[in-house]
Amino acid sequence: MSDPGGGRSLRGWLDSRYQITPLIEFLRHKEVPKGQHSMVWYYLGGTTMFFFMVQVVTGVLLLMCYQPGEATAYESIRYLTTKVPFGWLMRSIHCWSAHLMIISLVAHMFSTMMLKAYRPPRELTWVTGYILFALTLGFGFSGYLLPWNKLAFFATSVGTDLVKSVPVVGNWLLQVLRGGPDVTANTLYRFFALHVVILPLAFMALIGIHLLFVQRQGMAPPLGAKTAPRGMKFFPSFALRDVLLWLFCFMVLLVLAVFLPYGPGIPGMDWELGQKADALAPAFPGIKPEWYFLWEYQLLKEFPPHLFGLEGPQLCLLVVTLLLAIWAVIPWLDRQAQRDEPSPGFSDFGWGAILFLTFLTLKAWDIGATENVASAASIKIISRTCAWWTLGAGAAIIGVRVLIHGHRWFFLTGAALLHVALHGLFGLSYLAAGAIAAILAGACVTANLLRNDGIKANAGGAR
Amino acid sequence: MSNNTSAQKKTRRSFLDFLLGASSVAWLASVLYPVIRYLKPLPRAGAVGPTRLTREELAKLEKDHFVIVPVSGKRVLVLRNAAQEVLAVDAKCTHEGCTVQYLAAESAIWCACHNARFDLDGRVLSGPPPRPLPKYAAERQEDGGILIVAERRQNE
Amino acid sequence: MKTFSLIVYQLVCIAALAIAAADQPAAIAPKLAGLLAAQGKEGKPVISPEQRDYFEGLNDHIKGLLNNAAETEIITRPDHLSSILALGLRPQKMEVFLQDNCVLCHTDPEVQKPETLFSITAVSNTSPAHLNLHDLVDDVHFRRGLSCAGCHGGDPASDKLEHSFVKEWPGTGRDKNRGWVLSFCARCHSDSTLMNQFNPALPTDQLAKYKNSPHGKLLLETKDPRAPDCVSCHGVHGIRGAKNPLSKIYPKRVHETCGACHANPATMAGLTLPDGSLIPTNQLAEYRASVHGRALLERGDLGAPTCNNCHGNHAAMPVGLSSVSQSCGLCHAGNASLFDGSKHKQAFEAHKWPQCGQCHGHHGIAKTRDSMLAAGPEALCTKCHQQYAKDHPECNASAAYFHTSITQMDQAWNGFGVTAEQLAMKGLDVDAIQDKLNELADSLKQSRSHIHSFSKNGFERVALPGEKAVQSISSLIQEAKAEYRLRQLGLVASIALIGLVMLSLYLKLRRLEG
Repeated sequence: MSDPGGGRSLRGWLDSRYQITPLIEFLRHKEVPKGQHSMVWYYLGGTTMFFFMVQVVTGVLLLMCYQPGEATAYESIRYLTTKVPFGWLMRSIHCWSAHLMIISLVAHMFSTMMLKAYRPPRELTWVTGYILFALTLGFGFSGYLLPWNKLAFFATSVGTDLVKSVPVVGNWLLQVLRGGPDVTANTLYRFFALHVVILPLAFMALIGIHLLFVQRQGMAPPLGAKTAPRGMKFFPSFALRDVLLWLFCFMVLLVLAVFLPYGPGIPGMDWELGQKADALAPAFPGIKPEWYFLWEYQLLKEFPPHLFGLEGPQLCLLVVTLLLAIWAVIPWLDRQAQRDEPSPGFSDFGWGAILFLTFLTLKAWDIGATENVASAASIKIISRTCAWWTLGAGAAIIGVRVLIHGHRWFFLTGAALLHVALHGLFGLSYLAAGAIAAILAGACVTANLLRNDGIKANAGGAR
Repeated sequence: MSNNTSAQKKTRRSFLDFLLGASSVAWLASVLYPVIRYLKPLPRAGAVGPTRLTREELAKLEKDHFVIVPVSGKRVLVLRNAAQEVLAVDAKCTHEGCTVQYLAAESAIWCACHNARFDLDGRVLSGPPPRPLPKYAAERQEDGGILIVAERRQNE
Repeated sequence: MKTFSLIVYQLVCIAALAIAAADQPAAIAPKLAGLLAAQGKEGKPVISPEQRDYFEGLNDHIKGLLNNAAETEIITRPDHLSSILALGLRPQKMEVFLQDNCVLCHTDPEVQKPETLFSITAVSNTSPAHLNLHDLVDDVHFRRGLSCAGCHGGDPASDKLEHSFVKEWPGTGRDKNRGWVLSFCARCHSDSTLMNQFNPALPTDQLAKYKNSPHGKLLLETKDPRAPDCVSCHGVHGIRGAKNPLSKIYPKRVHETCGACHANPATMAGLTLPDGSLIPTNQLAEYRASVHGRALLERGDLGAPTCNNCHGNHAAMPVGLSSVSQSCGLCHAGNASLFDGSKHKQAFEAHKWPQCGQCHGHHGIAKTRDSMLAAGPEALCTKCHQQYAKDHPECNASAAYFHTSITQMDQAWNGFGVTAEQLAMKGLDVDAIQDKLNELADSLKQSRSHIHSFSKNGFERVALPGEKAVQSISSLIQEAKAEYRLRQLGLVASIALIGLVMLSLYLKLRRLEG
């Protein structure tokens, strides 16, 4: 294939004009860290990107038929899914791929977090990834409104309402987001612009940066590896495995799209077109946002209307902002990972976060509800059922960590489980239980830190 | 002996390459086929479907002065009044959902279920219906066809 | 310069004070102020904050009237003032109220006995219902300025205690023989010149109609004290128009108003129909369970009929034999005209049967069921025909044909409806099916209606499109199912291809690495 002359082959032709040889050499020697650890986590970024590419392709196709507008949005999607050949397939794939992308993204985020891939020199990779996550949620929220059906209309009304609680600029933000005081066709136009132009441009830019970082620095090796371990060549080994996985994902998408064209029927994961939005009709009973927003929706419901002189939603927003801010600067908080030492504290933090989100999401789904879902008695039962499920999951996680990884540090996971138990099993209010758990956790962590002068790694060389 | 195995290896290798290539092409074709079918627009209506009346529907309109036409899941009554104008209202009575009809002789829209009467703009003249009939915009085309565009609001 | 600016400054100050002074609200006279500030038991003010707010919001004219009333000592007690303010009346009504000494006196708890005191709530258990102050100010006559004196006579501006009733108001024996109430109300309501001054759209023939009705005859000829007069249905002090939901004659309350007598066996004891049988008292119970009663009372459909729609208001009488289908036919026009053109009409007239009522009942009209046609226990046709029309055996065949045809269409409609939903859940396009289902539903409704023609030909004509629709739907469903199978096939083929690619990729990978 390579012609010593350099001018007859395609590669030679390109090289003599653009000097692509260094690039090709770089790619040929690119390696993925490989050792005793499982490599499965290294694929998750790729699957997320794959699902995103599916979104772009199906999105462009849908864009050819969709017409935003009060009188045309719903009708055009109806037309698309009933009359246009394979239109049902394009919409179905687009909706499924959105959810699968978010699932993949969450798995990618938590796996990089547990593996401490954010430690230096890869802090900015974490930050760009964080922004990409936010953009993806923006995609989900803006895209949800576009069919202009009853479900989308009310979900958007309820969701954008939260923005009012931002101090100082709340009302301005609400009007800018909605294109007016209420959700109207103006909201539709803005969300359409967001979904189709603004967010894609931002996403492309950020993913370019994110991938550039990954290419320049290589994928993160596991903790504690003194030198770069022997790796798996990216081309062809890892790349072909990647393609294999993507083909499998594509197959899963197709099966889901054909057999469950409107989603699995779980509330928050259901995109049947239903009826057209009607601003004058009363709100949906039992309306819920999409599943990835359920935790925040439930958390809002746990706050009383007024607390500590602030309005409930404002305080909730403050708490959530604080938590998200902490999550964003983890690379700078995790000193032990910076020193390339095992950081069980932050792993525990990650698992604690997962349990925290799990409980709220389960509760938002009214797991265990009785006949009259909204009654106080029913809410107690729901809290209790979800608490048991979360405790079970927590026990399983702790068991696995102790037995397989030999972890010993469980203060934050313990706090999350205590919170859930106090609220669901002993009937304390969510906030009171949370405060108690947080204070206890803070005390234990501080005591532990002072005693041990740092969160020591435990026996077994765990992460 | 080594020649044989290396020859076998070569044929196996080229067979595998062929398999990979052929299956990839076939798969790509199976992906492109729906996309290409999707992209070709349908003959009858535009993207949203301002609905065009079929020839049978037009004939019925001429004969009976009105015809009921399906428009994206709803039923629309298209009528031709005494001044030969074409008007369109929703065909579902707002009382209990029966299908209304146009009485040309009385220049009114009538529901047989409970004797409700509407004027040609859909407003209730008598009988139990609580709300007027939603209106649709119907336009005559140059080629004689009739197009029903989306719903109009009552006060337009 | 300095003195000039000083002068300007003083002029400006004076001007501001003058403007401010002009804006001062009218001063509250001392007596009224005293009432407003009065404190009751435990030192709490008698006039509540809401009433105070209401008072502050009144315009000067009304405040002046209140001042007047306090100064002339017509309002002397704080609780009297409190009950007036608590009404929260609009200025127009407040003006009528405050210039009417009758009302002002009769709301004063100091001078009135419980039998003559108008109050917001019952003062004691013995306070009669017609002395409710809320009702009084809501009364349609009061609103138009026709307050106490308009009916009871006397001069509202006078503060002397004299009651000179109008001549139609008899001095004694008012409760025994209530016939006087009719001429009392009619002195205005039958006078079209007078009524034109207030509401030209109101009819003025109520008395004439009433005199012709059984109610009228019972009161005026038989002189039965149980008979209803104007007040029985319209009330006395809180008379509201029929469109007001609180009115006794609001469509959703008419059945209670009529039922107050007609559903009470004690009240109706001894009263008979023209044929000598006792008037039944089960109509209200039947109506509540009927399709009309449930539409009106449970679903709130104001288009549904109540007592007066069929029986009339002032000329209320049993629906005459020949006019039953006229009355049902006001809404059910199609069925009535089909019936009138059918051979059943003459047959029913010959037997003196109430047309619609014979099969559907009168007050307890239930939702029609297809089983009324069949040969089972609910069958209506066969029962009568066996008794009265033995010489028309072909009718049994017609009835059976109606029944079969309709039940087949009905079953098809239900079954196909479920199937269409299932197909829609699978993501298939069911628009054409839904349209044909609508056609089937239309045909079904028309067929059920055409039973009233009792003619096989007429029925066949409207049932035929339905049967055609059933065929179309069947084939459309088959097409949709075939489309779904095609999709599944496409999926399997795609999966096979993907699997093949994956396999060859895997083998290639193994070769590259092995």
